[in-house]
Amino acid sequence: MIDQGTPAPEKRPMNLLIVDDSLTMRNMIKRVLGMTGLRVGEVYEAGNGREALDVLETHEVEVLLTDINMPVMTGTELLRVVAANPRWRSLRRVIISTDGSTARREEVAGLHVRCYLEKPITPEIVRDVLTAVADSDLHP
Amino acid sequence: MSSLPLPTAIFTPSGETALVAAVCDVAERSFFAYAEPCDAGRFAELCEGTERWYSAGIEFDEGDWKGTLRCLVPDDAALAMFDAFSGRGFDDPAPAPELVSDLMCELANMVCGAWLTRAASHQTFSLRPMPVAMSAACAPVKGETWITVAVNDRPFAVAVRAEAGDGHGGQDVGSGGGCAPGRDESGFRSEM
Repeated sequence: MIDQGTPAPEKRPMNLLIVDDSLTMRNMIKRVLGMTGLRVGEVYEAGNGREALDVLETHEVEVLLTDINMPVMTGTELLRVVAANPRWRSLRRVIISTDGSTARREEVAGLHVRCYLEKPITPEIVRDVLTAVADSDLHP
Repeated sequence: MSSLPLPTAIFTPSGETALVAAVCDVAERSFFAYAEPCDAGRFAELCEGTERWYSAGIEFDEGDWKGTLRCLVPDDAALAMFDAFSGRGFDDPAPAPELVSDLMCELANMVCGAWLTRAASHQTFSLRPMPVAMSAACAPVKGETWITVAVNDRPFAVAVRAEAGDGHGGQDVGSGGGCAPGRDESGFRSEM
């Protein structure tokens, strides 16, 4: 039964984590975030998968945007660790990578990735994907 | 005829076509720039007066093949690409040199990734950035083949060196050494 008298609780702005070894790419994604009109809370950054795990361990993050080819720990390794830990079950995961090979897509198929964006990306694509991810439910 | 220093198996339908398509895709989608193939004569004209070039390289390994890919970009074109990518306005301060270098590295990363995704989609690949360097001239080094492109009427070159990787199953790969400059059968221009 729908209670029309009670307004729906306002969603907390979602926190995002951008993982890419390129500072200019992270800056571009942050700039696009500002153009989406989405209610965004904190935007965290990491230069590789290891740094990303440090952020995830210590902060609440709703959306993870990660590159694949990175030093120290790749995006695939990061996603495997995330998938293996129930704590991050509701984390929404998006890949933004130059590696658009079918082999790579198959490799990450079981890691609960919501969307696989292939670089080069346009700001419009990032906006559309983030809007869709923000509107989706929390559980993959 | 020159030897064929690049594996035809990952250069389909031709080396030049796949690589030029990758450059055009990256230029248009990430930098809002128009890219087109450019012959040697026009490339030489476009290079006139350019004395500082970014050389941004990537080491790639896709199992069957491994090697390097370098993007050679004039410094003024690199700055214009930075502006397009970052949204920097006329009144904004000039970017730190390391940021432009970072973007050139990402440019090489995107070109190499777009090329390998087209040419060898059945394989995953790893990419590792090389230090970005500045040079006074644009030229391939021994063993590299290269393509030349015009991006917003500025010169842009991509030099590739490839060799059989650990997962290579058969075809041998020529060295590229000893060949005269000219078009080989892959469509690439080989240089000494």
